[in-house]
Amino acid sequence: MTTTMTHSAPTEGRTPKVGIIRYLNLFTALALGIISAIVVWRLALAFLPQDAETAVMHTREDKIALLSMIGWFVGFMTGIGALIAPFRWVMGKDLSHEENMYLAGKDMGVKRYFRYTTDHKVVGIQYLVITMVIFGIGGTLAMLIRANLGKPGGGWIHPQAYNSIVGTHGILMIVGTIIMVTGPFGNFIMPIMIGARDMAFPRLNALSFWLIVAAAVPLIWGQFLGGISTGWSAYNPLAGQAPLGMDGYIMFICIFALSTMVAGANITTTVVRMRAKGMTWNRTPIFIYGVVASVALALPAFPVFFLSQVMSAFDRALGTSFYDTANGGSGWLYENLFWIMGHPEVYVILIPAVAALMEMAPVFTRRPLFSFNVAVMGIAGICGLSVLVWAHHMYISGWAPLLNAPFMLTTELISIPTGMLFLVLIGTLWRGRLWVTVPTMSIFALLWNFMIGGITGIYLSDVPADAFLHGSMYVTAHFHYTLMGAGLTGAIASLVYWFPKMTGRMLDKTLSWISFWFVQIGFNVAFLGMFFVGLQGQPRRVEAYAALFNKGNLITSIGAVVIMTGMLILLAAVIGSWRSGVKAPMNPWQAKSLEWTVPNPVPLENFETLPVVTEDVYGYGGKK
Amino acid sequence: MPETKEAYFTGQWWKRTDVKRHAVLWVVLTAVIGYAGTEVQVRAMGAPASEVMANVIHLMRIFTWAAAPVAGFAAALSIGALMGKRHHGDFPPPDTEHAIRNSPRAIALWIVVSALMCLFALVVGLIALQKDNTSLLDAKATHVNVVGQQWVWNFDYPGDGGVRSQVLHLPVNQPVVFRVTSKDVKHSFWIVQMGIKIDANPGEYTETAVTPNKIGTFDVRCAELCGLLHAYMQNKVIVQSKEDYAKWLASQPNQGVSTWTEPGAAA
Repeated sequence: MTTTMTHSAPTEGRTPKVGIIRYLNLFTALALGIISAIVVWRLALAFLPQDAETAVMHTREDKIALLSMIGWFVGFMTGIGALIAPFRWVMGKDLSHEENMYLAGKDMGVKRYFRYTTDHKVVGIQYLVITMVIFGIGGTLAMLIRANLGKPGGGWIHPQAYNSIVGTHGILMIVGTIIMVTGPFGNFIMPIMIGARDMAFPRLNALSFWLIVAAAVPLIWGQFLGGISTGWSAYNPLAGQAPLGMDGYIMFICIFALSTMVAGANITTTVVRMRAKGMTWNRTPIFIYGVVASVALALPAFPVFFLSQVMSAFDRALGTSFYDTANGGSGWLYENLFWIMGHPEVYVILIPAVAALMEMAPVFTRRPLFSFNVAVMGIAGICGLSVLVWAHHMYISGWAPLLNAPFMLTTELISIPTGMLFLVLIGTLWRGRLWVTVPTMSIFALLWNFMIGGITGIYLSDVPADAFLHGSMYVTAHFHYTLMGAGLTGAIASLVYWFPKMTGRMLDKTLSWISFWFVQIGFNVAFLGMFFVGLQGQPRRVEAYAALFNKGNLITSIGAVVIMTGMLILLAAVIGSWRSGVKAPMNPWQAKSLEWTVPNPVPLENFETLPVVTEDVYGYGGKK
Repeated sequence: MPETKEAYFTGQWWKRTDVKRHAVLWVVLTAVIGYAGTEVQVRAMGAPASEVMANVIHLMRIFTWAAAPVAGFAAALSIGALMGKRHHGDFPPPDTEHAIRNSPRAIALWIVVSALMCLFALVVGLIALQKDNTSLLDAKATHVNVVGQQWVWNFDYPGDGGVRSQVLHLPVNQPVVFRVTSKDVKHSFWIVQMGIKIDANPGEYTETAVTPNKIGTFDVRCAELCGLLHAYMQNKVIVQSKEDYAKWLASQPNQGVSTWTEPGAAA
């Protein structure tokens, strides 16, 4: 056997022989994607038959748009190099060790962030940056929404554009929050935390990230084809009559769902198969449970989302009638498919964020996690129930009134495992000595926000109350409390906590404190105001409202500006500290989990010798 | 890891000062949260114009008072933790805290109480749901067909001279059953002050029922994004005395809208 010896040694000082891989990066991907899209577009223009004059449905333009976007997708993925390894394998000429090391970005410097790099730490940083970009765009759109709602009776943005802004804000934030914990921290931190050298399928890891980049373009493209004027839920038949921008949404969802499925399979396999010797399930950190629960929940959910959009595309481009009642379809079918994805999806967002804070609670109170088993049971209970509650989004749709009571039951049952998560956090804080840091205060912020989000969820789960509240701003405020107040709070705490390991520098303390208070206070002002207008009867997704709702909307807008200020301060802190922050020690929080046992910057393949685990990571507390 | 016995709740634990402090905090916070929560709700939701809405307000008041002790408990413990021992600085505090990993009694109590609260919410909800459902079957009810289209509501009175109106007129204290559909995309028919809402689906018929119990002008709004002018798809509901209502109905031209049993109004 000559593999490791002969391949790794001579690479120093000269470019390794790696064939075509070395020429491929983001720029070749963009170039090939654009060329491919243009070629497909011209071909489709030339060869697709015109719609018949008499046809009810005009589908030619949708066909052209969808085909061009598929052209972009295939071109981009080819250009980034996603096909090389499978192609080589099919030819029976699998990648050599040298090539795999090149693919992992060995000794490559900054360039590796713009390539199809398989190192999980590179992918983690890539995810972190793209999450911040998504939040930046989504947040800007949110500010546009607030700016348009400055006064009652219609704003200055055209209703079509406004509706599109609302839809794009929605889908961007959903995607951003889905990846905000499992993307950056699930990829960068998780493998080190379980004592692995990399993910189970490093190339799938790179694939999952670059699919998101590939997906983003159709969404942006769609903005120039009439936008997504349907809200992020893209209900049919409204989506059927929407302009070509809808095709951008459909392609975006399909590619993003692929990314989620790939990442889900990869992360689940990694955790199940690659934990360090001695890391039994009882010694596996709770954050790992959160990440696995999240991605494993996405595994049944996102294929349904994918299918729902494929059917939507067929209706638009091929004249089928999956969702067209007049021709034997049903709009309720779409609603079912959408929410079969949609309700597990909110827990895909929430669970890893809460689990991250549960991971931090012992570190900052210097006490063991209170009742690890309850935490695991809570996460498992939420996962199990969350696939059985989707039709609480459809109480008033008229689809199946008789099922309202059973869905009310399953929905309200979720409060029991959710309560377990509260018990774990409160139990850990109780009588501890608090180390006052941003992550510590984030735990309190989460308890507060999630309590409000959870209790308002009880009202919404109740059918008669929902008949009043459904479709109002109350719902909007409720899910912002859960996904932003709880979810994003956990994600920002994770950023503060793991920033030293990911960048080798400490996140600026003063700025992150200022940002914390701005975001939390602004958030509560904004969305308590929104609850109020919801209770007064303001519908969601409106670009004009009655004078009655003026006060609440004003409060919300003021809160939104405060949130924006806080988020910009955080951005400044991240950029400033990343470039020139204080160098971080190996284990700044004196935590016991494995990611703090590797040096900064974390070397390729993480561990020189793989660790052996003999106890769990919560052995704090001296007093017996 | 050595399991550490929790020795806190032993002896006369209820006489400990910090237990008392938490208990007082809990009671105070429960009262504050419950009172503030219900006050805000009642003020925001305004005066109900039907028993359905009165029930919704009542239900939400019950839920708020039921949730107040839970929120108050979490808040009391959080404040207790925040006010307790604190440590500032760049380095962690000494590792000298109690290593409490478990408390079977606390866990059991927590799960049982949350299950009971869940059961309570369910039963309260089911009772209210049952009331709403039976009102659909009222044989003496007036029937109104509601047809949503981008971006107006049409109200058809098939039993009363084939009247069609874009402003909804209703007689007071008379049960009404609405049969709702749409001509194009999904809308949602919402009479705000009466607390009823049902989606208008193209090609399908959905039903909801209410008995307005107050004379006045109320709002009907569309609660499902339905395209360009969704925000403007709203109109007035005028609840009148039976005499005024009959007068209004008689003054309207017969537009030949189809009858209750033939749902052709959508065509």
